[in-house]
Amino acid sequence: MTTASVAATPPGAWRRRLFALGPYLLLAPGLLWLVYFFIWPAVQMFLMSISSGTLDTGFRVTGTLKPYTDALTKFSTQWGNSLLYGAISTSLDFLIGFPVAYTIAFRGGRYKNLLLFLVIAPFFTSFLIRTISWQILLGDEGPVLAFLKHTIGVIPVDFSILYSPVAVIAGLTYNFLPFMILPLYVALEKIDIRTLEAAGDLYANAWQTFRRVTFPLALPGVFAGTILTFIPTMGDYVNAELLGSPKTRMIGNVIQGRFLQSTDYPTASALSFVLMAGILIAVLIYARALGTEQLTG
Amino acid sequence: MATEPQRFNPDLTRRRFLQGTAFAGVAAFLAACTSGAPESNPPASISIPTPPPATPTPAPASPTPVPSPTGPLKFANWPAYIDLTGKAYDTGEYTKGSSPTIEQFKKAIGVDVDYVEAIEDNKTFYAKIQPQLQAGTPTGWDLIVITDWLAAKVISKGWAEAIDHGNVPNAVNNLQDSLKNQVWDKNNDFHFPWQSGMTGIGFNTKVLASAKIAEPKSLKDLYAIQSSKVSFLTESRDTFGLGLLKLGKSADPSSPTILDDLQAVHDDIKPLVEKGLIFADNSYLKNFAAKKTWAAMVWSGDLASSGTEGDTFKVPEEGVMIWTDNMVIPKGAVNKYTAELMINFVYDPKIAAQIEDYVYYVCPVKGADVEIKKLDPGAESNPLIFPTADIVAKYHNFQFLTDDAEAKLDELYLDLTGG
Repeated sequence: MTTASVAATPPGAWRRRLFALGPYLLLAPGLLWLVYFFIWPAVQMFLMSISSGTLDTGFRVTGTLKPYTDALTKFSTQWGNSLLYGAISTSLDFLIGFPVAYTIAFRGGRYKNLLLFLVIAPFFTSFLIRTISWQILLGDEGPVLAFLKHTIGVIPVDFSILYSPVAVIAGLTYNFLPFMILPLYVALEKIDIRTLEAAGDLYANAWQTFRRVTFPLALPGVFAGTILTFIPTMGDYVNAELLGSPKTRMIGNVIQGRFLQSTDYPTASALSFVLMAGILIAVLIYARALGTEQLTG
Repeated sequence: MATEPQRFNPDLTRRRFLQGTAFAGVAAFLAACTSGAPESNPPASISIPTPPPATPTPAPASPTPVPSPTGPLKFANWPAYIDLTGKAYDTGEYTKGSSPTIEQFKKAIGVDVDYVEAIEDNKTFYAKIQPQLQAGTPTGWDLIVITDWLAAKVISKGWAEAIDHGNVPNAVNNLQDSLKNQVWDKNNDFHFPWQSGMTGIGFNTKVLASAKIAEPKSLKDLYAIQSSKVSFLTESRDTFGLGLLKLGKSADPSSPTILDDLQAVHDDIKPLVEKGLIFADNSYLKNFAAKKTWAAMVWSGDLASSGTEGDTFKVPEEGVMIWTDNMVIPKGAVNKYTAELMINFVYDPKIAAQIEDYVYYVCPVKGADVEIKKLDPGAESNPLIFPTADIVAKYHNFQFLTDDAEAKLDELYLDLTGG
C-alpha cells in the first residue's frame, strides 16, 4: 500500500468497503462450487451435445443438431414410459403420503419424532440395495406372490409381477415416498390449529374444513412434494433397470446406455438437455397453475 | 476349517454377494469379458487390429544392466478376479493383504503392489484411460487386464509397452497352446492372457424338471422356451455372437461380420423381447434360484464358482463363445519391469492353480491342472476350468469388429434392450 492511497482514503473507508463486499465474499465458496461443479459441466455437456465423432476419433464441436433430432424422434416409447411412470408414481406417493403426513402432523403427539424417523429410516440403506430387495419381494416365488398363489390360491401359479410396469412403478413409488411425505408434513405442521377450530365454529363439517382450510394451507407442501418426487422419478433408471424389462425402459436408461454402452456422448448429452428443459417447462407451468402467491405461504 | 472357507457354499459366494451389491459392476465385469478365442484361424482382411509394425519388439538392443524392480506396482483388475482369503473371500472385495498371490509376490520381489479392482466394464475403463494414451502421458497403471477386443485395439494403436520375453520365461513356456498365435499379437509381444471364459447355455436341472421342460441342448432349443422364462446377456458381443451361431452364420475372426447378419440376429430376437425376454448380467443365478428364469445365456465361470446344486453349463450344439481377458502394460507405465515380473509370477503353475482355485475361470497356464489337484482334488477334471478337446473344438470368438459393425451392434443391442 502506498502512502498516497492511504492519504487519499479517509479512515474507516476500507472497513466500510470490506463490509460492503462481505456478502459476496461469503457467497464466493458456494458460487465457485456451483460454477465449477454445475455450470462448467453443463456448458461442457452442451458443447458435447452439438458435437460429432466417436470415442476413438475424438469428439469435435460441429454445431450439428442431429443429436437433438435423434433425442426427440427416436425414443418416443421411453419418453412416454418416463412421463407415465413418473406421473403415476407421483400421484400414488401423494395419495399414500398425504394421510401419513397428516396423521404425523395432527395426531403424532409425542411420537412425532419417532414417526418422522421411521419415514426416513429406509434412507440409511443404499438405494440400490432397497431396489434389489424389491426384486425378492416381487419375485414369482417371493413372500407376496407365494402367499397369494399357494397359501390362499387366489391368483394363478404363473402370475408374475417382476419385470412388468407394475413392478417399476411400485419401486419408484416406494423409493421416492419420503420426498413427498416430508414437505407435506412441514406444510401441515405449520397450520395454526385455531384456523381449523374457527372453521368448526363457523359450522363447517370435517370434510369442508379439510377442503377449504387444511388443503389450501398445505398447498406449498403439495407443490414441493410433487416436484421433489416427480423430477427424480422422471430421470430414474435404476428401478426400470432392476425391476423392469426391455419394454419398460425409461429415458434414464437410454441416457445410461448411450453414455456407457455405445459411448455416443453427443446423443446422451442432448437427451439430458431435453430432459432438463422438459422438466423445467413442466415445473414452470405447474407453478403458474398452482399460483405463486400460495407457494410463498 | 475356520480359515478355509467352504467352496460351493450355496448361500453366499463371492460372486453371489457381488450380484447383490454391485449390480452394474459385476455384471459389467463378466459382461464386459466377451471375447477372445483360442482359434488360430488367421487372418482375415478385416476387423482384427494388428500391432503396428513400427512398434519395437521386445528385444533390448543395448546391453542393459539388470533392472531392479520399482514400485508400487499399479495393477488394475476386475472385481473378484484373484484369489482372496479371510473376510475378502466372503465379500469378494480385495483389501490390502487379502490376496495370497499378491502377498507372495510382494515378499518374493520386495516391492509393494497397489492392486485395485478398477475395471468393471471394458468400455468404461477405456473411456478413462483413452485420453492419457492419446496424449502420450502415463495412465497411472502399470498392468491392466482387458478383454481381447480392447487389448487388440490398444495394441494396434501402439499404446502398449512391448513385453521383454527375457523377463517372463514362465509365461513364454506355460501359455496354453490354444491361446497362442492371436492374429492381433502373434508372438505375445504385448499381452499375456489372465483368464478365459465361455459363454453358453445355463439352467438349473431341478427347476426345469419341476417345470416339465426338456433341457435345452442347442441355441434353437433355448430360443423355443417360453420367452418370459429366458434371459440373454447384457453383454452385446455374447448375445449377438451366440445369435449368429444359432442362425448358422459365422461368428469368427476369420470372416468379416456382415451387417445384415447382425440385423438378422436382431430380427430373430426381437419377437422374443416382445414376448417377455429379459437381458441379465449374472443375476441369472438369482433368477434360477427364484425359478424366475428357466434357461439363459450364461458365463461358464459363474456356474463353476457360484452355481448352486443343479446349476448346469451346457455347450450348445451350434458352438460356444470363448473370450479372454489379457494382461497388458499400458504405454508410459512407470514400473514396467515390475509388471513383467508380475506376469511371470502368475504364470508359475503353482500360483496359477492358487488363483484358479478361487476364480474358477478357464485357466491359461499349462501345468496348473497338476498343481490344482493338490489344492482342490477334482478341480483338475472340471471342464469349465480345463476344457476338454471336444469343447475347445467348438470355440468361437466374436470379439473383433470393424468400427461400422461395432456401431451397428451397439445400435441393435440398444434397440433390443430398450435402452
